[in-house]
Amino acid sequence: MPYHEFECSKCIPERKQHAVVKAPGEDLTSCLPKGYLNTIPGSISERGCAYCGAKHVIGTPMKDVIHLSHGPIGCTYDTWQTKRYISDNGNFQLKYTFASDVREKHIVFGAEKLLKQNILEAFAQFPEIKRMTIYQTCATALIGDDINAIAEEVMEELPDVDIFICNSPGFAGPSQSGGHHKINIAWINQKVGTVEPEITSDYVINYVGEYNIQGDQEVMQDFFKRMGIQVLSTFTGNGRYDDLRGMHKAHLNVLECARSAEYICNELRVRYGIPRLDIDGFGFEPLSQSLRKVAMFFGIEERAEAIIAEETARWKPELDWYKERLKGKKVCLWPGGSKLWHWAHVIEAEMGVKVVSVYTKFGHQGDMEKGVARCSEDTLAIDDPNELEGLEALEMLKPDIIFTGKRPGEVAKKVGVPYLNAHAYHNGPYKGYEGWVRFARDIYNAIYSPIHQLAELDISRDPIPTDKGFATQRMLSDASLPEDIRTSTTLRQYSGAYDTISPLRDKTYPTFDSRSAAAE
Amino acid sequence: MEDVTKTRVEQLIDYIMKNCLWQFHSRNWDRKRQNENIIGMTTRLLCGEPVKPETPEDKCYWVDAVCLAEAYRARHPWLATLGVDQIRELMAKLHEQLDYQTITASLNEELTDQHY
Ligand code: SF4
Repeated sequence: MPYHEFECSKCIPERKQHAVVKAPGEDLTSCLPKGYLNTIPGSISERGCAYCGAKHVIGTPMKDVIHLSHGPIGCTYDTWQTKRYISDNGNFQLKYTFASDVREKHIVFGAEKLLKQNILEAFAQFPEIKRMTIYQTCATALIGDDINAIAEEVMEELPDVDIFICNSPGFAGPSQSGGHHKINIAWINQKVGTVEPEITSDYVINYVGEYNIQGDQEVMQDFFKRMGIQVLSTFTGNGRYDDLRGMHKAHLNVLECARSAEYICNELRVRYGIPRLDIDGFGFEPLSQSLRKVAMFFGIEERAEAIIAEETARWKPELDWYKERLKGKKVCLWPGGSKLWHWAHVIEAEMGVKVVSVYTKFGHQGDMEKGVARCSEDTLAIDDPNELEGLEALEMLKPDIIFTGKRPGEVAKKVGVPYLNAHAYHNGPYKGYEGWVRFARDIYNAIYSPIHQLAELDISRDPIPTDKGFATQRMLSDASLPEDIRTSTTLRQYSGAYDTISPLRDKTYPTFDSRSAAAE
Repeated sequence: MEDVTKTRVEQLIDYIMKNCLWQFHSRNWDRKRQNENIIGMTTRLLCGEPVKPETPEDKCYWVDAVCLAEAYRARHPWLATLGVDQIRELMAKLHEQLDYQTITASLNEELTDQHY
């Protein structure tokens, strides 16, 4: 096994099995790090807890729900407003977070009464919201509060409300991924099948594992609507609670993020016979293939082809403008879980960059299998890295940019490596054709930002070139480009709008004859 | 395996590994089912045989198979020079190798977990 041992982790020998280099000739039978194990003591992990994974990643994007954490206020506070999963109802789920504010006396005497009072207060404060998710935390799990019993009591007293219980305290798994699993299974066990949804199309999907980061879900939903496909529910970005109770009536589960949501797809297949189709919404080619596949499933290929042709013609010249300027740039692709495999190959193929390292904070070995399979030779793959390993890797690989979360991202900035937020994005959405160009633009802006010329000079030590002017982005990026590329009239920079999502919310869509009407 | 077949199988596997997701379902039994159905249908499509998916599940295998067969034809002109028996033989080797890499010799310790 081509393990990589970090100098800084020699004192934690177990860490060696968590990093590999994909040397020439290596494949998945010889090159795969360990994954989804408890963080080794002594290694300061960048992971979140299982409560955070359940609430922050999967639960909270549901938009018409009061999200109430039963526990100390700190758990809630740290999972509030850090991710940009917007919604088309005024971002209720982002604006408000609720906690029962458990204190020492409740740990001693029990916090059930407190919880009930909190539930009633929250519903009273927001009378238009009739749905709630209650999240268990470590403290209340350990004292044995019966959240289900309290929820039942409230639902009897207030018959128009519905409450979902997510029993995923922080310790319920090695990382946030344990929480993804728990909330998937809890949702299908408690809620799927409890509402009969209205079916308005011959073609009905659940869009699963999509969290509407800066509008990703709305971009993809736009494509589906243009094809006449009903998105019965989205699990969970911009998703409605009651739509998700009706998931059992879809014809197909379209799965975007297999890391966070394959569990519910697998169960929907076993319990309701709904098949699962895995797609890739990032990148022109993978997205085109994905739209094509969904359309083929329903026999409406021509509708997908029309969208692919229109979008590619509109946006490809802009993607290629950036590709020419990003060729050969070295990237550390260090996201949380699924983006390591969503992006590993396609950013090389479509943006010309070179991925020199992939890592995952909470991914499983299955994610690393996909990541290692997709990345090219000599890539360093790391599972659950600690901060020192991250710094050592940056020193060794000297990347031009890093895509990661904001904690490791800020560390990278300090050593002069620009970073893009892989979880919440900089100027997303990144899905869709236009979104992919926005991503390329963000990479370009980060790498060629003139700020690096100043930021990397230490005024207490370095000579300051006062005789030289400031080099602009274009001066930096175009310096070594061939004349025909530099002056090309077909390639162009991003020309879209600042806000690409709001117009989608008022858009009208074509109506298609139903299959039965067409047959008559 | 003779060298040319080996190289061809490697090329075909490489495309799947870099561009597809269906071979990486989470459990052994899922991977077996996925590989068997999708490679089986792709083989029939490449051999010019009709494939009529009947159930929703079959349709999912079929859409992945159609895309794979098209990608193979577009990327590997040498496929057009092979007879039906040669294609079958090549795809059988591909299936064997894919099962080996993703199931039997996989280092993923979660594949045998009894639950999703
Ligand atoms: S580990 Fe427990 S106490 Fe800490 S944030 Fe998570 S749920 Fe709260």
